[in-house]
Amino acid sequence: MFWKTIDWILEKLKIIGAACLVGMTFLTCADVVGRLFLYPIFGSVEIVAFMATLSVAMALPYTHKIRGHVGVEILVRLLSVRTQAIIDICTGILSLCLFGIVTWRMTKYAHTMHKAGELSMNLELPEYVVIYITAFCLFIFILIILQDILNNIKKLKEK
Amino acid sequence: MSPTLIGIIGIIIMVIIFMSRMPVAYVMAMVGYIGFSIMISGKGGLNLLSRNIYDVFSSYGLTTIPLFVLMGQLAFNSGISHRLYNTGYKWLGSIRGGLAMATVSACTAFGAVCGSSPATAATMATVGLPEMKRYNYADQLATGSVASGGGLGMIMPPSVVLIVYGILTEQSIGALFVAGIFPAILVTILFIISIYIKCSLAPEQGPPGEKFPLKEKIKSFLGMGETLAVFILVMGGLFIGLFTPTEAAAVGAFGVLFVSIIRRQLTWEAFVNALYETLGTSCMVMMLIAGAVVFGKFLAVTRIPFDIATWVGGFDLPPFIIMAIIVFIYFIGGCFMDALAFVTLTVPIFFPVVMALGYDPIWFGIIIVMVTEMGVITPPVGINVYVVFGVARRVIGEVPLESIFKGIIPFLLAVIAGVIILMIFPQIILLLPNLMY
Repeated sequence: MFWKTIDWILEKLKIIGAACLVGMTFLTCADVVGRLFLYPIFGSVEIVAFMATLSVAMALPYTHKIRGHVGVEILVRLLSVRTQAIIDICTGILSLCLFGIVTWRMTKYAHTMHKAGELSMNLELPEYVVIYITAFCLFIFILIILQDILNNIKKLKEK
Repeated sequence: MSPTLIGIIGIIIMVIIFMSRMPVAYVMAMVGYIGFSIMISGKGGLNLLSRNIYDVFSSYGLTTIPLFVLMGQLAFNSGISHRLYNTGYKWLGSIRGGLAMATVSACTAFGAVCGSSPATAATMATVGLPEMKRYNYADQLATGSVASGGGLGMIMPPSVVLIVYGILTEQSIGALFVAGIFPAILVTILFIISIYIKCSLAPEQGPPGEKFPLKEKIKSFLGMGETLAVFILVMGGLFIGLFTPTEAAAVGAFGVLFVSIIRRQLTWEAFVNALYETLGTSCMVMMLIAGAVVFGKFLAVTRIPFDIATWVGGFDLPPFIIMAIIVFIYFIGGCFMDALAFVTLTVPIFFPVVMALGYDPIWFGIIIVMVTEMGVITPPVGINVYVVFGVARRVIGEVPLESIFKGIIPFLLAVIAGVIILMIFPQIILLLPNLMY
């Protein structure tokens, strides 16, 4: 049930990320056209940057799940399935620790920005909200890494 | 322990962890964070990690990447590739090896709207392989031309690797893009020459195909219309300073989407697929940049890049020899690692060296992209070869991997010749960027 919920969140994040991508494209084009008629969209750069941040952050769990990141496979491919699973567990734990720290620091960063009352330059939007969402996406991302580790442990037990 | 020694240990540990297939981006970030914490302070390392990752994600300049990737994905999922291939086929199909020549020409044209090498190879393999099979082309030439032609997608702007290089070295992305046009055309011509030579020596490799009347040939140019229009709009806009790279990318993505909808060639499913593929690729690229930035900060405090630059500067060797060594390192590295990952990893190290030798940064960017491009067709990694192997199995039946690797040899020689020409005549690269500024 727990992992089903996480997968459901991952799917929703992916959909919102894709929507942000479409939004960035249309907003930038609208700004270019508006500029031609001397009516640029005020603050479009800020909104586009926020949408880009959200689309990448929301894609983090999805990209890890589909193994979309680049790795050097040539050596590990030569090893047995069991050894591969052991290596994957070790690297998974390292990744979990790394992004655990990133998530913790990102939340702290959002909190600091919130407390300081920092707003974006043009539209005066609260940037800390975007940072909190990024931290949340990172949290889901580390849960997906954890899921990966557990799957590898299961694979190891079955062998 | 001296900072340089800590840096060298960090690099060695990083290379060891790479071999575990842990994502390159994660390894760079991890080693960079730990190294920086040892060198400066634990708190400094913690701040570096989260702030740099967020800064990369939220950088407006980097929004160029998802937008150009989207443009390529939309082109990949629409029918553009078929029309481009058709044009090449009508013009070149009737001569010996003509279909392979049409394939590499269509790859270059497709590269003008798609910045990814495997995506170009996959698209053109789906379109070109069945045609070449129909005309009894040898599998070696057919698969070799598609796998190698796919690499042109990386040189022909817009190119994701060039964007990342531009960001890491603070060079104009517009200048890098226009600088890539002539080298891409040069390599295409060299590919065509190598196909011609191969088919002259072994005519059974690529028998001539159907002949078309001139009227039909001219008519086929209409199929290139939208690609040409989008390319001129994007590159022209960048060239004359009408758009920033981000705006050019958004206009290009919108342009391809618009054309695909008008031609009714993009289904809803393909559109959603393009969006998800873009999300995955963009996230991968952004994480690589974030990792490279964190790792770069660590390298900077160890002063390794500057030490290497000073050390190499002290050699009593002509700069072109040192440059040739660097190019060789990129060639070897590209064989074992993804081109983008290798560029993000090594640019912080080699860029100061190249600058100290007095080479042009735009020229160097194009050269390393061309050299690492060879890695997509050479063993053991050779991503394009595996992509073509997979597509071939689906569309024409199993072609042994050895056959594809043998098929790429003439094209590999052509790229090597191209790199040598560009090293001797850097003006080919620099002509357009110099006109721009």
